[in-house]
Amino acid sequence: MQIDGGHLLDVLIEGGMTHLIGLPDTISSALVDAVECHEDVRYVPVTREGEAFAVAAGLWVGGAEPVVVIQNTGLLESGDSLRGTAVRMGVPLLCLITYRGYGTMAAVGLEPRSDALERSALVRPDVDTTALLTEPTLRSWEIPTAFVDSREDLPTVIKMWERARLDSRPVVVLLRQRLLPC
Amino acid sequence: MLTTAQVVEPLHRVRSDEIVITTMSVVRPWGRISSSRLDFASADSAMGHAADFALGIALARPERTVVCLNGDGSMLMTLGTLVTAASAGATNLVLFVIDNGTYEITGSQVVPGKGVVDYAGMARAAGFPRTFTFDDAAPYEAALADILEGRGPTLVWLRVLPGDEGPISRGADQEVQYLRVSLDQSAIDLREALDVPATEPG
Repeated sequence: MQIDGGHLLDVLIEGGMTHLIGLPDTISSALVDAVECHEDVRYVPVTREGEAFAVAAGLWVGGAEPVVVIQNTGLLESGDSLRGTAVRMGVPLLCLITYRGYGTMAAVGLEPRSDALERSALVRPDVDTTALLTEPTLRSWEIPTAFVDSREDLPTVIKMWERARLDSRPVVVLLRQRLLPC
Repeated sequence: MLTTAQVVEPLHRVRSDEIVITTMSVVRPWGRISSSRLDFASADSAMGHAADFALGIALARPERTVVCLNGDGSMLMTLGTLVTAASAGATNLVLFVIDNGTYEITGSQVVPGKGVVDYAGMARAAGFPRTFTFDDAAPYEAALADILEGRGPTLVWLRVLPGDEGPISRGADQEVQYLRVSLDQSAIDLREALDVPATEPG
């Protein structure tokens, strides 16, 4: 069953979220809409995704429980910020990353493997290369990653956040399916 | 123009319980005169993101003033932060832009827009309700108490002479105290100074 923004928000609040920081896209916008209507959780929009990890690190140092939500394009933009703040500071940060391009990549039979990143794949007009690069990037950083596609997967969000707290490091939940409006 | 010492020394004299985040060429000048548990060096960290980090603390701790001693080179890397901070309504954030026109710690290469960019004007245009501009030490020093107490977000643009601070690293042999520990330990130390409970799994 598809996830709606309110269901995901309930899970994040259960996990302790105080602030959602990020930049929405079509997949995550229902979550942002839900947070903006909620009295106990603050949404902090940023102008570029790299800001989000540093803002989140500051929030955590100040005692808050931030969650970052960005698109996978923004993940690629955020490399030094993710490295120098959340990873380097040991922030137990839950990052919700929406998976732009997954559908078209899967439709043409490509898989997000490092050995699939040949020039011929990277210049294909019918493939969004953001999708090709997302999982290899996360693997190269050794960032724990899980998929959450349906309502049945929602407990994985909490499990991943627990892992972040145990290991004092960021974790990623990849969202491939558009969240439904509440 | 001011010197970096003319920026940090008066600030140190009036500082009470403000959190102070430093980065790049001001890390050591501040660390030489201050050893507060509320100091944090955004060094060995993410380039240009000290102001974002300070913004996060300011949002988490609205009861405290958070001062970020940023440089012009760092500010240029994340100009969008001006919009983010104003949009977030971080009234307790005081963002200094210490403008020496150079990337000092990498050898004083000239920054884009040297002598042209109006950081106070950019902050006002982004929505900062309070901005200050100083070229001289006396008016800066006279305004400091008001700067720290007013309702922001506040941007303080200081035109300073280039210095000669070199590259920054962390380790037990470092000159200033807050560079003698790792970045993650610094984060833990600041959380403890702010009485934040340790993170509990699950």
